[in-house]
Amino acid sequence: MQFTDTIQTLPETERIPGPMSLEPILKTENLWKLYHAGKVDVPALRGVNLAVLPGESLAIMGPSGCGKSSLLYLIGGLAQASRGRVLVDGNDLSTMSDAERTKLRRHKIGFVFQRFNLLPTLSAEGNIAIAQHLHGDGFDPHRFDVVTKMLGLEGRLKHKPSELSGGEQQRVAIARAIINEPKILLADEPTGNLDTKNSEIVLAMLRQLNKDMGQTIVMITHNPEAAAYFDRIVHMRDGVIVDGVPTD
Amino acid sequence: MMGHLVYRNLLHRPLRTLIGMTAVAVEVALVVLIVGLTSGLLTETAKRIEGIGADIMLQPPAASIFLGFSGSPMPIKIADKLREMKYVQSVSPALLQFSSSGGVDVLYGIDRDSFRAVSSGFVFLEGRDMQGPDDLLVDDWAAKAKHIKLGDKFRILEHEWNVVGIVEHGKGARLFVPLATLQDLVGARDKASIFLVKCTRPEHTGDVTEQIRHILPGYTIRPLKDFLSLMTSTNIPGLEGFINAMIALAVAIGLLVIFLSMYTTVIERTRDIGVLKSLGADKGFIIRALLAESAMLCCAGIVLGVGLSYGLRAAFLAAFPTLSILITAGWLLKAAAIALVGALFGASYPAWMASRKDPVDALLYD
Repeated sequence: MQFTDTIQTLPETERIPGPMSLEPILKTENLWKLYHAGKVDVPALRGVNLAVLPGESLAIMGPSGCGKSSLLYLIGGLAQASRGRVLVDGNDLSTMSDAERTKLRRHKIGFVFQRFNLLPTLSAEGNIAIAQHLHGDGFDPHRFDVVTKMLGLEGRLKHKPSELSGGEQQRVAIARAIINEPKILLADEPTGNLDTKNSEIVLAMLRQLNKDMGQTIVMITHNPEAAAYFDRIVHMRDGVIVDGVPTD
Repeated sequence: MMGHLVYRNLLHRPLRTLIGMTAVAVEVALVVLIVGLTSGLLTETAKRIEGIGADIMLQPPAASIFLGFSGSPMPIKIADKLREMKYVQSVSPALLQFSSSGGVDVLYGIDRDSFRAVSSGFVFLEGRDMQGPDDLLVDDWAAKAKHIKLGDKFRILEHEWNVVGIVEHGKGARLFVPLATLQDLVGARDKASIFLVKCTRPEHTGDVTEQIRHILPGYTIRPLKDFLSLMTSTNIPGLEGFINAMIALAVAIGLLVIFLSMYTTVIERTRDIGVLKSLGADKGFIIRALLAESAMLCCAGIVLGVGLSYGLRAAFLAAFPTLSILITAGWLLKAAAIALVGALFGASYPAWMASRKDPVDALLYD
């Protein structure tokens, strides 16, 4: 099955054409993250400076332990920086409380994880709907239908995660991440647990979301082939970004 | 949506949910049955005393409301003095003897004729009234519980009695023997534990009480129409404390099981909590979800507990027909409220712990 068999192109009315603004939607300035190992501070990030434009798709590559995931968690507001600033759509996360960061995450950021991280007690439908519920606008059946159709999930909605394949679980996770139309989608090795065929499907979906909905996507990956789907690739090593290469 | 999440979470681990529900059910049943047994026995005893039909009961000074423990320190001649009083229609002395051989019993040693005058007599279901010194009357509940039949020999207080009558319950005791025989048996010749006084009219009870108080100062005089109100746990030394201790024990069982259940739930769902936080769930949502889960589990346990209470009551009454277990709507509601508060309290720490989990640590949890 080709990814085009699964992914449906959004109708014109649902597309969000993304005129590129020059103001970054994501920006880090001299970002540090230290972890405590006993009495020793271990730096995961050492002064990362990164800017991502609205509608841009960015792949972050690097070896294990280079700080990719730490960077993703910081720009997603899941963790607090030790030093430096993270600006998300103009909001400085370093000055925000935990509750404020939670609210910002709810409205502006969607996450896709390597291990899918679906709630095992809920069906695929429930996993997507709970994101809508948390967003606070209640269940939107139209939006739900559009997203599930786009991701080819119509026939699998009543199934629990344990009854879905890896590819299907990741598509549910993507649906959950985009159901509230966040401006930014953060993906942490989204193809790490998938075979080649499903990896291609998921990457194509992410790419299409970026093009059709104008969503800014930042993805972490080890895989150069996966990174090649994106507009720009940056490499990290030892907690710093060592380059930034546009792929086009 | 939260209700759906909570419901699905409960179904996800059915055994754990069942154990939690059972703990709450045991908690509810323990509270309902302990209170029901206590108030049932007290109420039933009080009704039996009231059912004698006398207006006043005279006891020695500082006598217990538990008549079986009163002993027999009063001279029987007091009855003659009482009979001389204005508005007194009849007086019946009774000797009460507690026996614990072959079960807990209180025997009433009664004077047949005076007891009949005070109480309007027994309703005989079988047999006849006492005539001989070794005759024994048994009420229907005791007959059923002890499997006593008319004409049987029944041994109590190291004495063999002839069962000559089965009477309807509700006349003070369950076993009645001749006063003189019981006085001889327990070495209390010419003594009585209580005097039952029947007034010419019920409204003369106050006048007669005043007269008795005048000639027998310090004696315990109980108008029997108030006896039911006196038989409460608060009037029985230590009983209220015992009930409270039992309720506390039941609550502790429920609280600890709910605590353990929710604690393990939080640990098991650490990653799910991280996922919810990544989706933008705030601390309040996490706390509400876990408290709602605990409350839903508790409500199911309460329903089970109410059923268990009635089931156990039926089983107890089948095994021990003389028991009385009073299950009231008021105490069912109180037990439910106690269980619910306990469950919410038990879940509060795990919920608080979950709400404070670091989302990154939670997402990386295996």
